Amino acid sequence: MRQILNIAHYEIAHILRDKILLLIVFIVPLFYAVLFGIIYIAGTLQHVPLGIVDLDHSVESREIVSTFENTPNFKVIPEVNDYAGLEAGMKNGAIRAGVVIPEDYSQKLSQHQLTEILTVYDGSNMIYGLNSRKYLQQVLNTFSAGQTAAYLGGLGMTKKEITNVMDTVSFSMQVWYNPTFSYTTFIFMGLVVMILHQVGFMSISLTVTREKEQNSWIQFVSTAVPSWKIFVGKAIPYFIANFFNYGLLLWFSARFIDVKIGGSVALILLLGLLFNIIIVSLGFVISLYAPNSLQITRYLMIMSVPLFVISGYTWPSTHIPEVLNKIAQSMPYTWMANGFRLVTLKDWGFADMSMTLAVLAGMAVLTSFFALTFSKCRKPLVQTGLVVNETTSYPRKR
Amino acid sequence: MIKQSLAIMKRELFYMWRDKGMRNIMLFGPLLGLLLFAGVYSYQRVGDIPTAIVDLDHSSASRQVVMGLENAKDLKVVAYPETYDELEKLIHKGDAIVGIVIPENYGKDVDLRRQTKIAVMIDGTNMAYATNATTAVLTVTRTLGAEAGIKTLIAQGIEPDQAKEAYQSIEFREEAWFNPTLNYAYFLVLAFALNMWQQFSTLASCMNVVGEKGFGSWIQIKASGISRLKLFFNKSLVHIFVIMLIVLPIYFFAFVVFKLPLASSWSMLLLFTFAFAVALHSLGTLMSSIFSNAINASRFGMVVALPSFVISGFTWPLEAMPQWFQPIAWILPQTWFFQGINYLSFKNPGWEFISHYLLILGLMAVLFYSLAALAARLREKAFR
Repeated sequence: MRQILNIAHYEIAHILRDKILLLIVFIVPLFYAVLFGIIYIAGTLQHVPLGIVDLDHSVESREIVSTFENTPNFKVIPEVNDYAGLEAGMKNGAIRAGVVIPEDYSQKLSQHQLTEILTVYDGSNMIYGLNSRKYLQQVLNTFSAGQTAAYLGGLGMTKKEITNVMDTVSFSMQVWYNPTFSYTTFIFMGLVVMILHQVGFMSISLTVTREKEQNSWIQFVSTAVPSWKIFVGKAIPYFIANFFNYGLLLWFSARFIDVKIGGSVALILLLGLLFNIIIVSLGFVISLYAPNSLQITRYLMIMSVPLFVISGYTWPSTHIPEVLNKIAQSMPYTWMANGFRLVTLKDWGFADMSMTLAVLAGMAVLTSFFALTFSKCRKPLVQTGLVVNETTSYPRKR
Repeated sequence: MIKQSLAIMKRELFYMWRDKGMRNIMLFGPLLGLLLFAGVYSYQRVGDIPTAIVDLDHSSASRQVVMGLENAKDLKVVAYPETYDELEKLIHKGDAIVGIVIPENYGKDVDLRRQTKIAVMIDGTNMAYATNATTAVLTVTRTLGAEAGIKTLIAQGIEPDQAKEAYQSIEFREEAWFNPTLNYAYFLVLAFALNMWQQFSTLASCMNVVGEKGFGSWIQIKASGISRLKLFFNKSLVHIFVIMLIVLPIYFFAFVVFKLPLASSWSMLLLFTFAFAVALHSLGTLMSSIFSNAINASRFGMVVALPSFVISGFTWPLEAMPQWFQPIAWILPQTWFFQGINYLSFKNPGWEFISHYLLILGLMAVLFYSLAALAARLREKAFR
């Protein structure tokens, strides 16, 4: 025990002395969470700039315009008033959606002829595209209901009769788990888990390469301390720091970013625990076999986008080819991010989560086995080729 | 004179090639990324949204509704659970995204012109599903509601033509411009690959100044009497050349092999990319002149490069970010690049629009290079 604590103490001293490592361990996670939090704070896309081309200029067409003016989902841009303006505005991004009312709109309406309203939206950004499309549908549903009511009124029906007809079959739509369609609830926690993933790996994966670069790894290898104690001692500080960050970021997200985090606290803690074990032990193993610190830093950083995209967290895994799903399933991030969402949003219990928990536990056992039993054969730093980080900035006593 | 420049360039190219880790990343990384992303988004659209229908009525009227839903665009009925509880379980487990419940006595109520309500549930956890599902449901319910209404009116003795007109006097036509099928692959594959490319380029350019210090060759170079300006100019030239060289296969695969849309001309695209490469390289150089070793420069380069895609507003729009944050986002060259790429690939906004972007990227390059020179100067003084 004493040996382990000694090593842990030594590692903590390292973290405290290496200012940048200290930043990475304690400041960077919160910094990123705050940054992404600011970006996604609005949660839903509102006030989509809309151009309305009213070629009719009648009372009836004014009604359509005012329907759009009265929804917070759109912001009508008055400068756009002809088709050329609409096209130009869509092209330069001044507007993201448009409505065109034909010139004979009121005339056809009064003559009981079919008339057509054109709606357009910008597909070059899918978030604008899909939401505008949804909003347009909503407004048009309301508007056409109003039209029908007016028409029936014209036939001499009373208000009650009209409601009776129109509500013969009505639809009630509920959105479960994320009723406001919040993008924050959707994507933000996936980014937070990615931050914890990357920062966790970044910090521990330098622990052995640093010793090698300072020629002190030999001290560990040659003393009579078993491998598992070296690993445990070195891992403890990072393990605690990672868990602290996990709690901190969850608290921050729930308190300030208004992310929905429900579900069983025990499960959330268990997920965090397993994920943390995997990161710490896998990071340690990487550090043992990696050529040097610079390469680790580089490779780790560029993994974040592919891992995120392939995990099925945003683009649903039902729409990803099976081969890629298999690859994704071998990554801890996939299980952690999706599992976290299922617990916090859908309130999955232990029984529902058994698969996720079993896989994560399996990964934790496997990675910690390799970390605990690493061979103490000395593998020197790779010296062939270019050693770019010859001059390290690790603080030394002068 | 030129000979000296060529010698510096040759040396730099040699160094970059010998940095094996960097070489592998630069040669294979972005292309592997592009292939991976193209694979992930190979379905292109979120259609076939798994839907479950509970028909508690089993009448001919309710079966008509079921048929209407089966034929709805983007919905795919995968299950017909018997009870509401079963449906709830399906949605809870994620096996169905949309759930529809047709109440008991539906057929009877419709016949007797009593009001009846069909319940629709949508799982909102994944927005890629949820927005599409909502639109699909809104469209189909409008049609179904109109059909039911027309029937009621006719039953009340109103002329069929009039009844129809009451519901269908206005037709709504929708058009998605620039990306008519709302294809996710068009939107994201190239952007993600370019995001990886800009990360690698940041890594490479972070070696600009610090590389020399790291090699311990700094003194040698100083002794050789080559001017700093000349040295770094030629080094940077090589870096930018390499950065541009790597982007070419990405563009080739994206536009020629995968046939992603490119609205603008190739020359415009390449010119714009070149301007960004210079601006990005200047930012990397600034990082490398501030920090004392390659790891730290790489780390801080990445601190900027990693979130820059999210900040750039390529996916979650800039306009939806807080007002005060938007000017900050525009400080990064990446924001200009990703915004510009979106316009170039989908819209071809014309020279006037892009020249503004080019000008800003150019100014950024001048600013960051100057700051880098200043920082390097100051550090050198501190070393003495």
